Amino acid sequence: MKKPSHITWLTIMMSGMFTLGLLAQEAKSDLNLGLGYVNDNDRLQYLKASAKTKINGKFQPVAGINLSFYLGTESPSNLLGKARTNSRGEAVAFIPAAAGEEWKKSEKHEFLAVSEPSDSFGTTKSSIEITRAKIKLDTAEGRKLVAALLELREGKWIPVKGVDLTFSVKRMGRNLGVGDSPTYTTDSTGTANADFKLAELPGDSSGNITLVARVEDNDTYGTVSSEKKVPWGSDTQYYDSDFDKRSLYARRGLTPLWLGFMAYSIGLAVWGVLIYLFFQIRKIKKLGTV
Amino acid sequence: MDNLARQKIIQDLLPQKFGTRGIIWVVILLVFCIAGIVAYIHQLSKGLVITAMGDYVSWGIYISNFVFFVAISLVGSLITAILRLADVSWSTPLTRIAEIIAVSAITLAAIIIVVDMGRPERFYNLFIHGRLQSPIIWDVVVIITYFFVSLLLLYLPLLPDFTILLKPESRRAGSRPHFFYRFFGSFWKNTPEQIKISNRAIAILSVTIIPVAFAIHTVTSWLFATTYRPGWDSTNFGAYFISGAFLVGAGAVLVAMYAFRDAYKLENYITEDHFDKMGKVVIGLALLYLYFNINEYLVPAYKMEKAEEDHLMGLFIGRFARVFWFAIFSAMIVPIAILIFKKGRKPLPAFIAGCLVVVGSWFKRYIIVTPTMLHPFLPMYQSPEKFYHYFPSLEEWLIAGGSLAGMLLIITIFARILPIIPIQETINESEEHEKA
Repeated sequence: MKKPSHITWLTIMMSGMFTLGLLAQEAKSDLNLGLGYVNDNDRLQYLKASAKTKINGKFQPVAGINLSFYLGTESPSNLLGKARTNSRGEAVAFIPAAAGEEWKKSEKHEFLAVSEPSDSFGTTKSSIEITRAKIKLDTAEGRKLVAALLELREGKWIPVKGVDLTFSVKRMGRNLGVGDSPTYTTDSTGTANADFKLAELPGDSSGNITLVARVEDNDTYGTVSSEKKVPWGSDTQYYDSDFDKRSLYARRGLTPLWLGFMAYSIGLAVWGVLIYLFFQIRKIKKLGTV
Repeated sequence: MDNLARQKIIQDLLPQKFGTRGIIWVVILLVFCIAGIVAYIHQLSKGLVITAMGDYVSWGIYISNFVFFVAISLVGSLITAILRLADVSWSTPLTRIAEIIAVSAITLAAIIIVVDMGRPERFYNLFIHGRLQSPIIWDVVVIITYFFVSLLLLYLPLLPDFTILLKPESRRAGSRPHFFYRFFGSFWKNTPEQIKISNRAIAILSVTIIPVAFAIHTVTSWLFATTYRPGWDSTNFGAYFISGAFLVGAGAVLVAMYAFRDAYKLENYITEDHFDKMGKVVIGLALLYLYFNINEYLVPAYKMEKAEEDHLMGLFIGRFARVFWFAIFSAMIVPIAILIFKKGRKPLPAFIAGCLVVVGSWFKRYIIVTPTMLHPFLPMYQSPEKFYHYFPSLEEWLIAGGSLAGMLLIITIFARILPIIPIQETINESEEHEKA
């Protein structure tokens, strides 16, 4: 049998080393990047990205991913902002006032989120196209909520039919639905309405509550919401907090007067005696040195 | 009193150079102290993570040691103040021993509390940002105050002795730090005016130290009692702690009496009668402390609320039972059993009883502090296994041992440079005795 030549051995060795090198390299995981647009009460507009990856067959949020957000294409002039995902894998970038001119130019906009490559993930992009829209929220007699969804078309706000929206009241935690149905669909006039069925809902000190109409994560419009304050709640009288009052559990500087008086009196009395005794020792010393 | 008798008292009571036993004793103490310092430097560099303390047991043997030091320091007020005010003349040879123990113990109490801090360099924040509502602040203030009161009570009765120590005939008797005596006592001329001021100052101090001493240990007990936990939730804790403190202090005096009597040949001054009387004091205090212990354990055990049950059963028959029963028997029952007999109040048995009281009392502090920390009202879960138990790490043992050695070293140094029995007072009492 013919012996393998040196070149054959070299080829086998290099192939082996290359294979080992490939195996040694850690394969980068896939990053799932989601992007959403939010128009909060027609005042605050921002982009919200969420980064996830599959771990043990389940999607888990990925923290610490640096993201760049663009209006349109990926170029420095289109950069809206940068953000880093938090422990929930979420990052938010507010649309700056500087982008206002570009925003007004068109009825439809495309947003792009690009992740920076890291040790575990490569560059990932995600885009979303939205049509500019807004909600006009009003009330009608008999405690009714009326919301009209309007989209910008050829420079005019046109009612939109067949879009689901929710009616709710702002609370400390999540919003509270106002009626029996979870969602309401806009009719041919772009309007949806709901009866306000919540009784004796605690409001602020004047009984005001905040109503919210919201289109949630719509493919065309993103998330759009509108708010309105109405006096439909019950007056809430908050009890005076003890937080800033003198008490045993209050912060430093709010010692109860009786405690301060006692503590300082005892301290002064005892240290007064000690100081007196120090002077007595001085007196003894003087008597001995004269 | 003739001059010869006077000179004999002076020569007998002058501080003496260490013999071989004394030198070995000091070397042993120094070794323990150095080991403690090295362990503390290690703790400073690595942090409290090297201790066995964790989320649940955040007060381990450092705090047990602290409570022990505070307790033992109360002996100064018992012997010097209470017995002095009660005009108990037999306690005169014991007053300085008691005051030296008090000053040494309170010094180490202040040190050991800093050792328990993870970031001792931030200690000053306690003064800058401390809340007057917190018993910790009260403890800091009262410890500092008690230290100065004890120091003054040690110093003022020493003034006449400094003059004796500076006399030429005393100088010849052995090498002593005369610069120290000159600095602190050369101005004492034994004039009637000086004696009058000094006696009045000592009387004022004797009255002042009693509330301060009660305050120091009551406040220390409140560090526990103001915390709502099984074993600590008691309205009786102040009195319970003070009675225990007087017991351990009196036990320590018994030990020190025997040690100094034996080392300095003071049989004529610390007599068997002193052991007999001090033994009776210890019996009384042990019975009092036993009474408070019965109250502290029997009443909650009778009710046996769920949270208290785990804690109490752990002490009575559980994992702390051996230490608990050792502390009860060693600190109270066995010493009572020894000292109740007249023969038990002879120097050696009394010394053994004193040692049992001191050792048992140290473990009693451990029993007060640690088991409760392992029984919070909220359930313990989702924690590392080691958080469910506590056994001090080597560093903790070394630091605690070093601090105890430190206290003994301070007492030893005091005994080397100061007369362990007040010389002038002994002469005065002998003269009065002769006149009578």
